[in-house]
Amino acid sequence: MKRFSLSAAFFAAIAVFSLSAQEPSGLEIMQKVYERPTGGDLVSDLTMTLTNSRGDTRERKLRQFRKEFKDGERKIMFFLAPADVKDTSFMSWSWNAEGKDDEQWIYLPALKRVKRISSDSKSDSFMGSDFTYDDLGERHPSEDTHRRIGTETVEGETVYLVESVPREPGSLYSRTVSWVVKDKWVGLKKEFFDPKDRHLKTLTVKKYDRVDGFWVLLEFEMENVQKEHRTTMRIANVAIDRGVEDELFTERMMMRGAR
Amino acid sequence: MKKRLAAFITGALLLAASGLAAGAEGPALSGWVRSHTGLLLSADPGYAVLQNAFSLSFEQKSDRLAFKVNPFARLDLDQPLEIGLREAYLDLYFDSLQLRIGQQQIIWGKGEGVFITDVVSPKDLRSFILPDFTEVRLGIPALRADYYLGGSTFELVLVPLFVPSRSPEPGSLWYLAPSFPVPPTLHPAVEPAAELENGEIFARWSWLGAALDFELMGGLMWDDEPALHLARTIDSGTGQVTAIDVQPRYHRLALAGGSFSTTLAGAVLRAEGAFYSGKRLATTAPTDADGLVEKNYLHYLAGLDFSLAGLQLSAQLVQRVILDYEEPIVQDRFDTTATLRVSDTLLRDTLRLELFAYLGLNDWDALLRPKLSWAAADGLEISAGADLFLGDEGTFGRFDGNDQAYLKAKVSF
Repeated sequence: MKRFSLSAAFFAAIAVFSLSAQEPSGLEIMQKVYERPTGGDLVSDLTMTLTNSRGDTRERKLRQFRKEFKDGERKIMFFLAPADVKDTSFMSWSWNAEGKDDEQWIYLPALKRVKRISSDSKSDSFMGSDFTYDDLGERHPSEDTHRRIGTETVEGETVYLVESVPREPGSLYSRTVSWVVKDKWVGLKKEFFDPKDRHLKTLTVKKYDRVDGFWVLLEFEMENVQKEHRTTMRIANVAIDRGVEDELFTERMMMRGAR
Repeated sequence: MKKRLAAFITGALLLAASGLAAGAEGPALSGWVRSHTGLLLSADPGYAVLQNAFSLSFEQKSDRLAFKVNPFARLDLDQPLEIGLREAYLDLYFDSLQLRIGQQQIIWGKGEGVFITDVVSPKDLRSFILPDFTEVRLGIPALRADYYLGGSTFELVLVPLFVPSRSPEPGSLWYLAPSFPVPPTLHPAVEPAAELENGEIFARWSWLGAALDFELMGGLMWDDEPALHLARTIDSGTGQVTAIDVQPRYHRLALAGGSFSTTLAGAVLRAEGAFYSGKRLATTAPTDADGLVEKNYLHYLAGLDFSLAGLQLSAQLVQRVILDYEEPIVQDRFDTTATLRVSDTLLRDTLRLELFAYLGLNDWDALLRPKLSWAAADGLEISAGADLFLGDEGTFGRFDGNDQAYLKAKVSF
C-alpha cells in the first residue's frame, strides 16, 4: 500500500488552455506526483464516513502510521471504532522496485493471529468503503501509459489533466483521469472508469494543506456514481517526520494495538 | 488449588490494574452480548442451543504496562449459569522483551480450523468445534516471554498448571459413549497433580518478512485428551470379556513443528506440520493389557488462499500419519481431511455469505457450515446459518443426527 493520504487525485475545471510544447508529458506529470516529497514518516488519525444512497451514514475511526524505508514504504493502521472492528490492524509493505506486489497482513482480534492477505484481494472494498485496497495504494507510473489530455485553471492554479491506461489487461479500471496541480504535484480529482469504460467513481479532494512543510490531503471523498454512495475520509492530528520507529511495522505491534 | 491460584492471579491483576489506572488515561471497556438459538433439523426436532452469553473486556495500556481482564457469563438451556475468566493478564513491556503473566489464550500456527501446532491453549469441545474459535480455546495460567530481534520473535511459554480440554458430558448432543463389548465401568479422569514438575513448556521462533512468514516451535506438554486405560475381566472358561474398567489418564506428549505462509502468484500459500511423540492410541491387540499402544505421528497441512470471480476462497488439505503403524490400532494409519472456505461480501461489507466445509476423506463424511451475517448497524450483527453433518461415521458423520439451523444476534460495545 502506498501514500494514499498524500497521493490520490483531484479537482474541478474552470478554464481550458491550449497545450504548449514546453508542458510536461503525462508520464512526467505522474512521475512528479509519485516522487513528490511526503516526509520520512507520518502519523495521523483517520475518520471514514460511509454514506449510502438513502443518506444513511456509518463511521469508522483509525490511527495510521507510515514510514519510508530504503526499499519502499511501510504502513500500519489500527482500527479504533466501531466496537466490532476495534483492535483490528492492517499492515502493508510496498516496494520501490517496479512491478513488485505489496505485502499485506491483517490482525483480527477474534482470531488472535496475524494473517498474510492475498494480493488478489486488492480490488476488494476497504472496510466496506468506496475505496479498494488498490485505491489506497500508490500506483507506480510504470504500470500505466499516460497521456496529458488538457490543462485547466482551478482557483488560479494551473491544473494538468492526465489520462492513465493500465498496461496489463484485466485491471479493475479501464482508465483513470487525474487533475494535477502544476508545481505542487498534488492531485485534486480523479475519475475512474470501469472495464466497459463507463464512469464508475470520482475521487475529490475537499481540503489539503501544508503540514510540517509537506502537502497533505486532509479531506477527500470517493463517490461511486453508479451505486450512488460515497465515502469521505478526514485526516486529523497529522504529524510528519517525528521519528516513527521501525519496529512499529511489525507483527508485535499489530497485535499490541494502537498507542 | 487451581481455584486459589486463579483467584490470586485475578487479585494481583486487579491490584496492578488499579495502580496502572491511577497513572494512565481512562481504561477501555468493551464487550458483547449475544443470543444464540439453534434448532435440530432431525426427525425429532428440539433446541440444539438456547444460549445467552456476555463477554466484557476491561483493558488499559501505557508505554510500559498493560492489562486485560475478560470475564464472561453464559447461560445455556438446562445448564447452570457459567461465569469465568477467559483472560486476565498483565503485560510488561521492555525494549526488546515483553512479559505476559496470567490467564491467557495463546494461538499459534497458520492453519484454519485445525489444531496442529496450535496446542498451547486447550479446547472447550463441549459443543464439538462449532463455537467461535475464541470460545473454543480455553485460557490458561501462564508466563509468556517474547524477545524481539529484528523481524524475529523468540517466545517461551511456561504453564505451571495443566488445564485439560473440556469434553462433552453424558447427556450432551455431542457426547460419544466409548464402545465396548460389555458395558464398561467408567472412572473419573486422573489429572496430573498440581505441581510445578507437572507444568508444560513451549518455545517458538517466528519471523514475519517480505517473502515469507514462518514459525518453528516445540513443546513438552500433556495430551489434552485423556487416554482410556482398560482393565478387562475375562472368564477363564469361555475366554470372553465379562467386565471392563475404563480409567482415563493424561500422558506427556512432546512435539516439534512449524508453519509458513508466503505469496504465490497473487495467492497465499500456507503450510503447517508437527511431529508428535508419545501419543497413546487405542488398540485391539490382545497383547496390550490396557488397550493402548504408544506411537509417534505426523500431522500436517497445506493450504491456499485466493480470489476467484470475486469470491474469497481458502482450501486446505490436512493429513495425520501414525508412524510405525500396527494393524490392531483403532485409528487409520492415514487420516485425511480437506477444508474449504468460500465467502463473499455484499452491500458494502454489511452482508457476508460464507460456506466453511470440512470433508473427511477417510470415511467420506463432512461438516458443512453455511452462514449469512448481516451488520444491521454498527456493533449489531445478526447471523443465520446451519451446521450440517453428512455421512454415517468418521469425525463428522457420527454426528449425522445433530444437523441444526441457528440464529444469532450479537451486540458489541
